[in-house]
Amino acid sequence: MQLKSRHYDAPDISEAMELCYAKGWTDGLPVVPPTAERIAAMLKAAELEPDTQIAFIENRQVSVTAEKVAINSVLAGCKPEYMPVVVAAIEAIADPLYGYHGPATSTGGSAVFMVVNGPIARELDMNCGDNLFGPGWRANATIGRAVRLVMRNTIGTLPGVLDRSSLGHPGKYTFCIAENETDSPWPPLHVERGFKREQNAVTVMAALGVHQFSNGLSSTPEGVLATACAQMRISAGTARQPQYALVFAGEHMAIMTKAGWTRDDVARFCLEHTQISLAELKRIKLKDGEADAEDETHMMSLVQTPQDFLVIAAGGRAGVQSAYIPGWGGKAGSQSVTKEIRQR
Amino acid sequence: MTVQIFDPTPEPKKDRHIAYAPRPTSLAGLRIGLVDNSKFNSDQLLLRIAGLLERDYGAKTHIMRRKRSAGVPPSQEIVDEFKASCDVVVAGVGD
Repeated sequence: MQLKSRHYDAPDISEAMELCYAKGWTDGLPVVPPTAERIAAMLKAAELEPDTQIAFIENRQVSVTAEKVAINSVLAGCKPEYMPVVVAAIEAIADPLYGYHGPATSTGGSAVFMVVNGPIARELDMNCGDNLFGPGWRANATIGRAVRLVMRNTIGTLPGVLDRSSLGHPGKYTFCIAENETDSPWPPLHVERGFKREQNAVTVMAALGVHQFSNGLSSTPEGVLATACAQMRISAGTARQPQYALVFAGEHMAIMTKAGWTRDDVARFCLEHTQISLAELKRIKLKDGEADAEDETHMMSLVQTPQDFLVIAAGGRAGVQSAYIPGWGGKAGSQSVTKEIRQR
Repeated sequence: MTVQIFDPTPEPKKDRHIAYAPRPTSLAGLRIGLVDNSKFNSDQLLLRIAGLLERDYGAKTHIMRRKRSAGVPPSQEIVDEFKASCDVVVAGVGD
C-alpha cells in the first residue's frame, strides 16, 4: 500500500508522540503515532484505497482522502474496525445540509454530536447506557476524537484560525454515543430517518453542550416533558430555531414506553409547550425592539417542525435524568444528517 | 528503533492560483451590490458603507440581498442578480 503523505522519523515511540505535539496535530491529549502499519490496518478494515476521496469541503477547497482519515483515526486511538464509522461521520459533516463552514468556524462554538445506530454499535461495544456523555468507552471516545482531529488537521479547523469559537465546550474533544435500541420505546433513530434496522448509520448534529434536566416526581410523559420544555423554552437556541436533540435515559424511557408515546407524540408535545411570545423575546433581548400588545399573542416556536426534535433513547437505567442539546445557529445554517456506515 | 510517522495535514498543492475579479480603478458611476449576511445590524452597516461609496466615491446605485444564513454562500439567484445588475459587490462577515 502506497501512502502519499509526507513522513518524518523519530528515534522512538516516545519521541514520535512528542513530535506529533510539536507538529500541532493533537487536541492537547497524547496521540498514537501514525505509522504506516497502523494506517494500513485502518484502510484495510474499511476496504478503502488511500487516495479515495471521502469528502470535499467546498468552502475550504479541501479534499479529505481515506489516507488522511486513517492517519487521524490512528492519532485518536481508534481500533481499525472503528474506521467505517469515522468515514461515515466525515461524509455526513461534508453534506451540504450540514453546512460545514458555519458550525465549524462560528463563534457559536459547536461540536459534532454523533449518534451511532445499528448492529455495529453493539459489535464495537459502544456505550449507550451509564455515564453516556462521560469517559470510559474506547469506541465512543476515539471515534468522536478522530472526527475532530480530521477537522483540525486535514480541514484546517484550528482554534483561533478557522475555528473561531468564543467558548467551545468539552464535546469538541469527543461527542459520540450509541442509541439504546434494546430498551428504547421507539424504533431506532436511523430507522426513523429512512434506514433499515439492520443497516448501520451515524447521525451528526452541530451541537452546543449537554443540558441535563431532572424530574423524579412524574410518572407520565406530560410531567417529564413539562420539565424539559420549561428549561428548553429559554435556552441557547431560543429565537434562532436550530434543531434540538432530546436524550431520554432509563427511567424516563420506561415512562414513555408504559404510556405508549411515540417519538412524534414527544416531539409534538415539545413543539407546543416550548412556544414563547414575541413580546417575551423582546423583553429578554433575544429579539430587537420594544414589545407591544400584539407581540403578547404572537407566539414563536423553539424549532420549526416536530421533526426538528431528534428524540433519542440512551443513558443509564437508574436515575431521573435526561437531557436536551441545542443545535448550533439556526436550521437555515445547519441541519442534522444521517449517513450509512458502509462495511465494504 | 526509528519510528516513521505520517502527516495528517493536506499535502501542499502545486500550481494553485486564485483568480480574483479585476478591481475597478474608480467607483464613479458604478452599481454596488451588498451581501447582507443576516446577522444583527449587518444591513445597517452595509447601507452606511453604500452611502459613503455613493457620497464620497461617486457610486451610482446599490442593491442589497440577504443570505439565508451567515455560514452559507449567497444563493445562485443572488449571485446571478448581482452579476446582471452590479459592477462591484461588498461582502463580509462581522460579529
